[in-house]
Amino acid sequence: MRNRDAFSSYHPIINFLYFVLVLVFTMFFMHPVSLAISLLSALAYSVCLNGTKAVRFSLTAILPMMLIAAVVNPIFNHEGATILTYLPSGNPLTLESMIYGVASAFMLAGVITWFSCYSAVMTSDKFVYLFGRVIPALSLVLSMTLRFVPKFKAQLQVVSEAQSCVGRDTANGSLLQRTKNGITILSILVTWSLENAIETADSMKSRGYGLPGRTAFSIYRFDGRDKLALLWLLFCGGYIILGWALDGLRWWYYPIISGELTGAFPVSLQLVYLALCLTPVIMNRMEVQKWKRLTCEA
Amino acid sequence: MRYKRFWLVLLLTLLLCLSGCGTNTDNVQPPQTEPPVETPAATEGTQDRYKTDPVPEGKPQPVEPQNAQVTDNTYTCTLSISCATILDNMDLVEAQKQPLVPADGWLLPETTMTFYQGESVFDVLLRVCKENKLHMEYMDTPMYNSAYIEGIGNLYEFDVGPLSGWMYNVNGWFPNYGCSRYALQDGDVVCWVYTCDLGSDVGDNSMGGQQP
Repeated sequence: MRNRDAFSSYHPIINFLYFVLVLVFTMFFMHPVSLAISLLSALAYSVCLNGTKAVRFSLTAILPMMLIAAVVNPIFNHEGATILTYLPSGNPLTLESMIYGVASAFMLAGVITWFSCYSAVMTSDKFVYLFGRVIPALSLVLSMTLRFVPKFKAQLQVVSEAQSCVGRDTANGSLLQRTKNGITILSILVTWSLENAIETADSMKSRGYGLPGRTAFSIYRFDGRDKLALLWLLFCGGYIILGWALDGLRWWYYPIISGELTGAFPVSLQLVYLALCLTPVIMNRMEVQKWKRLTCEA
Repeated sequence: MRYKRFWLVLLLTLLLCLSGCGTNTDNVQPPQTEPPVETPAATEGTQDRYKTDPVPEGKPQPVEPQNAQVTDNTYTCTLSISCATILDNMDLVEAQKQPLVPADGWLLPETTMTFYQGESVFDVLLRVCKENKLHMEYMDTPMYNSAYIEGIGNLYEFDVGPLSGWMYNVNGWFPNYGCSRYALQDGDVVCWVYTCDLGSDVGDNSMGGQQP
């Protein structure tokens, strides 16, 4: 295992189902409590997966973005009952539109953080394992596209190093010369990527990818632990979707901010949502505890 | 390498979200303040450069806001804002917007107000809303060279069905051009009304509607 994340060692279907649930809920629930739960849990899990440094790095990108969203929304959206002042155009600046901007920034940050967790947990072999037989072409294309940018960057490094060895790098020479060298590198890179795509396709074809009856080796087993996790995810997901259908999580930003905050049902929904979001973190903690206990006994 | 993928996702999400910002920017043809057709005989060729059909005889011609000359002469006009038609269609209004509809339908009862010669209906509406702390959102539509009133008092177009929105009439006539192009005269009576049926429920049948 590359990372020590306990949740990653579960069956891919559990991983995938979890991220589908969490991402869909994050995108659709604009209730401020839900947004806070989602973002904080995503950050907590991201710390578990990528370490504090990586999360601090992503926060420096997320915070300005949140600020921009909070400023941009009131410029284009003037709905809301609380008029703070008037913009130069004559349209009102409303408190509600600013708060909605902040809330959508929270949603955005949550989704991005969840996706960073997703890419750490759902490796491409898991994805192809899940969807390789159902949608062979699409799953291959997806996992290839997701890998394209990192691979392209790596190859760019290789090509530009080779070019600088023959004295054609982009650091020296006149501006025209440097531009020429840069274009050459780009041209080599594009040629390589086209060739690489054809080679990959040929290679996959010669190995019989997507043919009926072809089996694939996988180390994944759906055991009792996965059954429990599946039940737990189904329970949480089902309960939250039920609450969603019954309007237990409704929240309005316009024209006056209002929504469900107290009451047994909305609170229970939020608690279940919190438990769902924190599931991998709790699993990790339990694993650590178990390991400690075992090493103490030994 | 993982971060590179993350950056890509970040960029894409940002683009998606920025393009999705703002909840009221429906790309629907603005239906109300610029009613396009007055006489069925009008053809494309007779429209002016802001897509306005010929103005009926005896009615004031549009004055482009960029050419309007506002002087110091003060006149008076009467202005009112009513959304009484919503009262008959309360079931179509979302629950959180229902308290915004006054019981008698008047967001602003008939008020006499002063304006400067050369000001348009839009100028007066903007001022009266600011003075009365009444919410109003508009959008500039260069195609019609006029402001388009999206919502007054947080009651927006399309809030009461797909044929709903704000319209204005001056002295009982619904102009076939936008409110920024209507230069007010002394003693004019301006009524801003909310329609739920493309104007047919407030006395303007130029655009049709569902009820005959």
